[in-house]
Amino acid sequence: MMIYVKLAWRNLLRNKRRSFIAGTAIGIGLAALICVDALLLGMERNMIDSATASFMGQGRIQRKGFQDTQQADLTINRLDQVVADLEQESILKHFTPRVLTFAMASSPSNLSSIELVGIDPASEKPVSEIDEVIIEGSYFSGENERDILIGDRLAEILKTSLGDRLVVTVSEAGTGDLSQDLFRVSGIFRFDISEMDRGMAFIRLVKAQEMLSIGRDVHEIALVFSDTESGSDATLPFWQKYSRFSNEAVGWPLIMPQLKTVFELSRFSTYIIGLILFGVVALGIINTLFMSLHERMFEFGVLRAVGTRPFSIVQLVTYEAGSLAVVSIVMGCILGFAVNYILAHTGIDYTGIEYSGVTFRKLLFPELRIRQFIEYPLWVFFFTILVGLYPACYAARMSPAAAMRRSL
Amino acid sequence: MSDHNDVISVKGITKVYSDNSVPVHALQGIDLTIRYGEFTAIVGPSGSGKTTFLNIISGLDSCSEGEVWLAGKLLSSMSGKELSDFRRDSIGFIFQAYNLIPVLTVEENVEYIMLLQGVPKVERRRRVSDILEMIDLAGYEKRLPPQLSGGQQQRVAVARAMVSKPAIVLADEPTANLDSVTSGALLDMMYELNRKTGMSFVFSTHDENVMGRAKRLITLKDGRIAGEKQTTVTS
Repeated sequence: MMIYVKLAWRNLLRNKRRSFIAGTAIGIGLAALICVDALLLGMERNMIDSATASFMGQGRIQRKGFQDTQQADLTINRLDQVVADLEQESILKHFTPRVLTFAMASSPSNLSSIELVGIDPASEKPVSEIDEVIIEGSYFSGENERDILIGDRLAEILKTSLGDRLVVTVSEAGTGDLSQDLFRVSGIFRFDISEMDRGMAFIRLVKAQEMLSIGRDVHEIALVFSDTESGSDATLPFWQKYSRFSNEAVGWPLIMPQLKTVFELSRFSTYIIGLILFGVVALGIINTLFMSLHERMFEFGVLRAVGTRPFSIVQLVTYEAGSLAVVSIVMGCILGFAVNYILAHTGIDYTGIEYSGVTFRKLLFPELRIRQFIEYPLWVFFFTILVGLYPACYAARMSPAAAMRRSL
Repeated sequence: MSDHNDVISVKGITKVYSDNSVPVHALQGIDLTIRYGEFTAIVGPSGSGKTTFLNIISGLDSCSEGEVWLAGKLLSSMSGKELSDFRRDSIGFIFQAYNLIPVLTVEENVEYIMLLQGVPKVERRRRVSDILEMIDLAGYEKRLPPQLSGGQQQRVAVARAMVSKPAIVLADEPTANLDSVTSGALLDMMYELNRKTGMSFVFSTHDENVMGRAKRLITLKDGRIAGEKQTTVTS
């Protein structure tokens, strides 16, 4: 009934200061929810970017079983056909072949086990950020097939520096015979990911294939999609299509399941934060409505006396809660947007901080979604109505005579 | 059962409050009938049970024992919803403290009961306009109660009580907060309405003015009827 909507709004505006304070409290709760969600999304994006863009890629194709065994002879089957097909994929932005093997790097001073990666410098460039994290030397600038890039931590372990020579030993495919070669440190990189900086080295693809005696074969093709979401879309037919010939195509969530778990944990913590915020907000709403009810008890008595049904009293108080929710939602959305707008321009500097094995390498920016301004406000609205039912039923159950006696 | 000429018929009603475990007998075995069209005053000192009596006969409160028949209906047989509807359609209330809804305008306060009754808007507006004219408050439709004087607010309360044409108007000390001139004018107005429409009025009062205008005076003392007399009214 319109009269109750009118009454609800007028009652809300009756004590503007109290309504403003209550609305602000609920609004801050909503804004906090929006901000937490936006920051978590931003953090997810940042972590995915850090994890995928640095080296891994958003997906990869390998021979089945290679990931677990790292056997040098488990190369991608029908490589030429796979590459030809990939070149036709419109959803794919870039891809690059790689050779991966465990190796031993030794300098005159020390030795260390490493993961040796053979890369094609040209096609690797748009897929990973190796070229961007070189802190000394250069990224395969010449034609020297004995160039090797190592991490700064590995350089420390091996007590070696730019221009020094290293011997790398690998186990050949098939026979398992040891194969050694001499390399010159042409570049030192720093990903700020300790495992990579301490235990990875990059050489040219052709040289790696030669050392392993695998001909033109490769162990992995790293993928970058035009739409970054594709990497995590398990329903994409792409994965099926390239999981043939005993090969296996997977997106980053399967490559880094721990990252997905971290995100699930983050979402769960959002729910917990949401629950706590809503709990605090609920007490605020109940308190506000009860204060308002007690101040106006005689009015409820009068309304009941002149023939207003108890259900209509419930309606009236519920509309008041709803009106308060609307005001709060407007305030919360404006506040949430404003805070995120500022953070989206300034960013939050977590660079260098490692979380769940991933180091933040860029500023953290919150990610706003339309959903945050629909879903959370709806939660707040329905929650406020739900919480408002308690004082509403209390008011409806009061006997009219008792209600009027209380205030007179 | 009540006589069809009785607007109110109460039989043996008692009301016991047991706040703080000490029983307080507010009403003790009251038998009373009030006929349609009567202009009746319930008088008595503070604590004699006047307000409790009005609350019980209007269904705002329940009695501990006894029967209340109002406009031919036994109140104790009604559900909460039926009681609400019955009060809406059959009883008009006037309270000592006016008790208008402060956020509704004069017009909205007066038409509120008709809204509950589902009276069409055109009819509502016509009746509001007529009654405000009658109580000399035409032009005050859009004012809020706090913008009116006490006397004007009580006149709006009278208009609200009468606009839906109830069988009976119950007024709890309606002139208690008014000066003698204003309360006299208000009583004249109610007396006229009673005379013209035949609507029954029952007042609780301390006010000699009101007592002087009542056609029937019922005196309560310690929750019992201590006396009753018919009067000759000079308006």
